[in-house]
Amino acid sequence: MTYLYDGTFDGFLTCVYEHYYSGKADAIFPSGAYQAGMFAKPHDVRTEDGKARKVEDAITEKISPHALARVYRVFRTSVEDKEMLLLNYIRFCFRHGPSAACLHTHPLVLPVDKAEHRIANEAHRLCGLIRFSVMTATDSDEDAYSWEATVSGRAIARRSAPEILYARISPDHDVLEFIAPHFADRFKSEPFIIHDTERGKAAIAWRRRWRIEDFTDKDATLLTGTLGEQAYRDLWCEYFNTMAIKERTNSRCQRGLMPARYWKNLPEMNIR
Amino acid sequence: MDKLAVLGEGAKYDVSCSSSGADRSNIGRIGSATCAGICHSWTADGRCVSLLKILLSNDCAYDCKYCINRRTSEVTRRTFEPRELADLTIEFYRRNYIEGLFLSSAVLISPDHTAERMYECLWILREEYGFAGYIHAKVIPGTSPELLHIIGLVSDRLSVNIELPSEASLARLAPQKRVEGILAPMRQITETQAEYRTLSAPGLMGKYGSAPATSGLSGRATTAVFPGADDFAPVHAGGATFHAGFPSRRGKYRERFAPAGQTTQMIIGASDENDRHIIGTSETLYRRFSLKRVYFSAYIPVASAPELPDMTMPPPLKREHRLYQADWLLRFYGFRADEILPVDYPNLDYDLDPKAIWALRHLEFFPIEINKASPEELLRIPGVGNTSAKRIVRQRREAAVRYDDLKKMGVVLKRAKYFLTCSGRYYGDSELEPHYIRDRLARGHRDPRELSADASASSPILDEAKIRGELAGDATAQISMFDAISALPGAEASG
Repeated sequence: MTYLYDGTFDGFLTCVYEHYYSGKADAIFPSGAYQAGMFAKPHDVRTEDGKARKVEDAITEKISPHALARVYRVFRTSVEDKEMLLLNYIRFCFRHGPSAACLHTHPLVLPVDKAEHRIANEAHRLCGLIRFSVMTATDSDEDAYSWEATVSGRAIARRSAPEILYARISPDHDVLEFIAPHFADRFKSEPFIIHDTERGKAAIAWRRRWRIEDFTDKDATLLTGTLGEQAYRDLWCEYFNTMAIKERTNSRCQRGLMPARYWKNLPEMNIR
Repeated sequence: MDKLAVLGEGAKYDVSCSSSGADRSNIGRIGSATCAGICHSWTADGRCVSLLKILLSNDCAYDCKYCINRRTSEVTRRTFEPRELADLTIEFYRRNYIEGLFLSSAVLISPDHTAERMYECLWILREEYGFAGYIHAKVIPGTSPELLHIIGLVSDRLSVNIELPSEASLARLAPQKRVEGILAPMRQITETQAEYRTLSAPGLMGKYGSAPATSGLSGRATTAVFPGADDFAPVHAGGATFHAGFPSRRGKYRERFAPAGQTTQMIIGASDENDRHIIGTSETLYRRFSLKRVYFSAYIPVASAPELPDMTMPPPLKREHRLYQADWLLRFYGFRADEILPVDYPNLDYDLDPKAIWALRHLEFFPIEINKASPEELLRIPGVGNTSAKRIVRQRREAAVRYDDLKKMGVVLKRAKYFLTCSGRYYGDSELEPHYIRDRLARGHRDPRELSADASASSPILDEAKIRGELAGDATAQISMFDAISALPGAEASG
């Protein structure tokens, strides 16, 4: 049977439940990605919280909590046919028990292992490759935000429009929620937005709390760079170019460590 | 602001880039440190940019021959105000350009004057900005112990550059630097770390007990296959005691002294020490001072002097690469310097990696049976690393590991197949014959043109390195820098 689900993790877990209780799944697709015209008539699975929780509990108890975390991470990748990959992995682990994770080279385990590595690596890499710009809200009320308190001609306090850190990323996998905690802790006293332009959503954080919301390029136009922003960007580019030792130039090595697909969001690789 | 370019230019030959070793969430207002370290960008030479690596000043009072900022060199002189540099660091950090600050400096007026200004900059970062990110401070040789101590309290990592692998070269090329001026701060850092309980051995050394030859995969001491109990006594072993009178430093916000340890750096190719000497020196530094890393920097001619190699000499990148491979064997594979470079072979081979060379010289240990060997033995197989060894050990608990599985686990079969058996079967295409295997292994590494050139000659086998060593001079004749250690006060305690 072909199952269609709504693209959420709970939806996928419901499919796993249905696989055991309603009929064997031959294929699982998110309903948006499914193209009609195949032989079997697809079956729409309605996401049910209770069923999803049951599957979650079963994975935690019969396999391990670690396995559930792994299933979730792999679910966030863009690996092709990840639903069936995961279903087969879960089935195998139910049969084999917790030690299934030790069988690195088993044909059902290896691709899951690899997919997990990919998303974990990308999340780690992006912790370094994200570039924030210091922005302010475009329509901020000038009068409300720019005032100076002066005492006998000397400025003693100044308030300007609040600054927001804004970064654009376009990762291969859906890593947003894996990198958000890192930055939410690091920049706990500043609001920031990490915008995933591929998936039209963003992690929005302030004071150590963060959430993921839909976010489009149109929303991004509500922000404009502050005055000093370009100057710091130029300084950084200048510094970056200075650091290369020309006797040791090795651009192949550079590309290997920092693949070209990440360059478009890096100021140092786009020097005019 | 050309300061950034001028002072970055001066700092770029410092090799250390790591932002690792300290794990701390945001206890200030901005910043955190991750144990694994994070690289933020990679320059055109493929080296990563992790920290804002910069000099506070390049206005140097010293005249080291190899250095771009030596007193007699005609470069633009610039000096940062401590606050100016702290502001710049914070602005870069907010934009996630960098993971922290690597602060070094030329000797401005005197070592203490320089250290005071460096401390001021770090203090502004830590106290005024509440910066909890990574700070690596370079110790200026000759800094007074009190200043070094307070710098250590605000830094994550400290480093003292040893610059050259022997005292003789140091005297020749860096006349104002003294061995004692370099070793004394190193010892102070190690002892203070021991006191603050932030001292830990590099890599996998001593991670599971302090036996030096124990590799990281299990707590057991190495089996008799690789004899290697040794007599290195860490400098902190008996010397530093934990004083009962001190207030407890436990708890989340306890005072810390350089929690990410200390590192050092040596210039390769400016003087004529052989590889055995260099690796031996590194090992001593790891064992006695528990350094986290010893960095090597291939000498790039920036100055011409009669004592230095020719200006046209290309940087010895290949040699640097092989030295790093040997360094990894020391830190992560449970090798000893004597094993990698015995007296007869004082130089590393450029065609083959040091582990393969070791294996070819010790074929009596091979082939090793994958399904039975201890983790330490697995690590001795060329082409097997820590990750793949760990996977083999995990998987063979469940089922025997087959030859086909090895590739999937990340084993480099091209090298490994000659040195292992899987369930009793050998998969190499020849007998265990060193000349043949060497030839096979080196083929991939070598330039095809080079290969055709010496195809007519018989394969050079293992004597090439020996010959090169003889030309470079006898290792034992050189005076080791560390002969001086035993003569220094405080060293007796290490017993």
